[in-house]
Amino acid sequence: MNPKMKIDNQSFIRKKFSEFYNENVDRIEIPKSIESREFGFTLFKEKIMVRHKSFMRAEDLKEFIKRAVPSNVYYSAAYYSLPEAKMEEKGWLGSDLFFDIDADHIPTECNKEHDVWTCRKCGLKGKGSAPSRCPNCGNESFEEKTWPCEICLEAARVETMKLIDMLTEDLGFSIKNIKCSFSGHRGYHIQVDNEDVLKLDSIARKEIVDYVTGTGIDAVFHGLEEVGSGRARMLVGPNLDDPGWRGRAARGTYEFLLTASARDLKKLGLNRRVIEELIANRDMMLKSWKTSGPWNMIKGLGLEGWRKIINHGIKLQSAKIDTVVTVDIHRLIRLPGTLHGKTGLLKISFPTNEIESFDPLKESVAFREGEAKIYVEEAPKFRLGEEVFGPFKNQTVNLPISAALFLLCKNAGRVVNQSV
Amino acid sequence: MEADYKPILERAEKRIIEALTSSPPVVSYNPHKYREEILSFPVAIVLVAALANEYVKRRYALAEARRAYELLKMENEEKIIEIARKFGWRIRFSNEKIGLIKFDFALNFIDYLRNIRAFHEKSWKLVNRPVLGGEVHLSKQEVARLLQEEIQRYIEDKIDPKVRSMLPEEILKRIDRLKQIYSERMKETPLEDFSSIGIINEAFPPCIRQLYEAAQSGRHISHVGRFTLTSFLLHIGMKPDMIIDLFRKSSDFNERMTRYQIEHIAGERGSGTRYTPPRCDTLQTHGLCPGMDNLCKRIKHPLTYYLRRVRRKRSMRRKKIDESKNENR
Repeated sequence: MNPKMKIDNQSFIRKKFSEFYNENVDRIEIPKSIESREFGFTLFKEKIMVRHKSFMRAEDLKEFIKRAVPSNVYYSAAYYSLPEAKMEEKGWLGSDLFFDIDADHIPTECNKEHDVWTCRKCGLKGKGSAPSRCPNCGNESFEEKTWPCEICLEAARVETMKLIDMLTEDLGFSIKNIKCSFSGHRGYHIQVDNEDVLKLDSIARKEIVDYVTGTGIDAVFHGLEEVGSGRARMLVGPNLDDPGWRGRAARGTYEFLLTASARDLKKLGLNRRVIEELIANRDMMLKSWKTSGPWNMIKGLGLEGWRKIINHGIKLQSAKIDTVVTVDIHRLIRLPGTLHGKTGLLKISFPTNEIESFDPLKESVAFREGEAKIYVEEAPKFRLGEEVFGPFKNQTVNLPISAALFLLCKNAGRVVNQSV
Repeated sequence: MEADYKPILERAEKRIIEALTSSPPVVSYNPHKYREEILSFPVAIVLVAALANEYVKRRYALAEARRAYELLKMENEEKIIEIARKFGWRIRFSNEKIGLIKFDFALNFIDYLRNIRAFHEKSWKLVNRPVLGGEVHLSKQEVARLLQEEIQRYIEDKIDPKVRSMLPEEILKRIDRLKQIYSERMKETPLEDFSSIGIINEAFPPCIRQLYEAAQSGRHISHVGRFTLTSFLLHIGMKPDMIIDLFRKSSDFNERMTRYQIEHIAGERGSGTRYTPPRCDTLQTHGLCPGMDNLCKRIKHPLTYYLRRVRRKRSMRRKKIDESKNENR
């Protein structure tokens, strides 16, 4: 693509963003204690992030966004006494507890077939997540173009729901204090609004991260143990309806054994006879959960073997979050009610208890009117609102503004008709 | 000085000496002399403060906190709750059975997190605890152990080095005597100096080796990974220029940016803080631990791994040299 076209695309996108902010400036969600937050922006012209900005009042922020028309708007999860000062002089007062669930961190069934990578050395292109080495030239660095697909978003929703369950049931946060939003691209953001968490340092936040991701967890602390002695020796384990990680460990194990293949079990390092027994007794074992559990049913499967199986079950129950975001107490977060520069979609908040029915690809559509003619190089099939578009390959199409903007932001095409 | 106060001053001094000379540090307790036991504590705090030494302060606070732990274990539930609440803990008597175990207390998980920072045992990790509705369920002994941490911090906070100027001559003399004891102790444990070791690649722990090889072949390394590798290499004395060369292979290499970041981590820019590489458990959290070898299981920090490996290598080499000398004879 020649540079001139890029500029055309960019000015088109910027114009649309500007229109949006002029008409919808009140959709921007103003964070609590705005005067103590740091703001950051990326602009269309330069690629760098403008940081260390602050605003005393909501109106100032809105005016700034209308005037500057940033491609992305961020605010700090942290509160500072001097948000505009250099990092080490800001005076950290506290930080909201924040979680980022992004499809990038979740293995999905679509295998990211919609993502495209390009070798930075020889230009070879491929689909899915980038390989570790280019099959053509052996280079190990790629440019990756990701895509928010329904399967990816569904996977992110499931992880978010697991996280919300742990935050409310185990950690005792009220659902009212958990703010949920769609990021405008490939995932969800969860923010815990609670006085108690503000002062938590990185070490304490890391401990919370380990809790929700099940890092460092061991079945022997969640009910798996040997009781009795001699001939009366037997194993006991967690029950499906136990509280906290205990119950999760049991449910994860149940889920795993329901479908586990011989190969899955072999990967855990179990021996052939135990694997055969596990598969032959599958039904009986699953039934046994109603009573004392399957712990003593398989000959040759002792505490160590069960430990491996349960630890795998735990992985299925863990919430796959971006660990770095939560422990970073200076993190900048996309501001809800602003547009995502990679998609033209809104980061949008919604009531946490509606997560199951929330439709991200509908609610985040920012433009409801108008059309644009664009030339699309290549794009997989995608949905926005009720409409499905594509797949496209080297063709000129008339699209609703939201879909056209989406493709332009993704750098998948260029503007043909400037008269919109 | 009035004779009446002498035993108190004596006992205060004794408390500090006990803290400095016992291992693990602990202060004794004599239930029959409760007047001296109680009154000597604030006096000892003043003495330690006047010593104005970080090591003594920490060791004394630890020894007193350990003493408190031993006493708390024997107390009844009501007393424990009363003391914990003095520190602002949200704790209640629970008497709840989870699985086969009955727990005595339920503690707000944020109060719990504040007090497990120094613990490395897997059993203390929040994820290995019964956590329900924001509360961690604990036994009496566990609550006493957590209180030890709170008490240690409390004592450390009480020790204010500004008191020295207010003290009479006789007490200052005592303080100088205590300094003597402390300096003798310090001689016994020489500090490790990384810069004298040099850079020995074969002594890298698995996590650093993996990152180092990734950098050498220009593979992508996450931000945390770069930070870990850079801070580790700086710590063992690698020059920033060498580290820049290491990252040169990376496809998105930018010399100016890389130099800036490395100098930042080295503490030559920004706040002036020289960053230390993350601990093992932090690397695990971020998925940077490629799995532990035998030595890993015994350490908690990649730098400790390096030190131990180097030390072992050296003693082996020395042995070899000795052997060959013997053969030549």
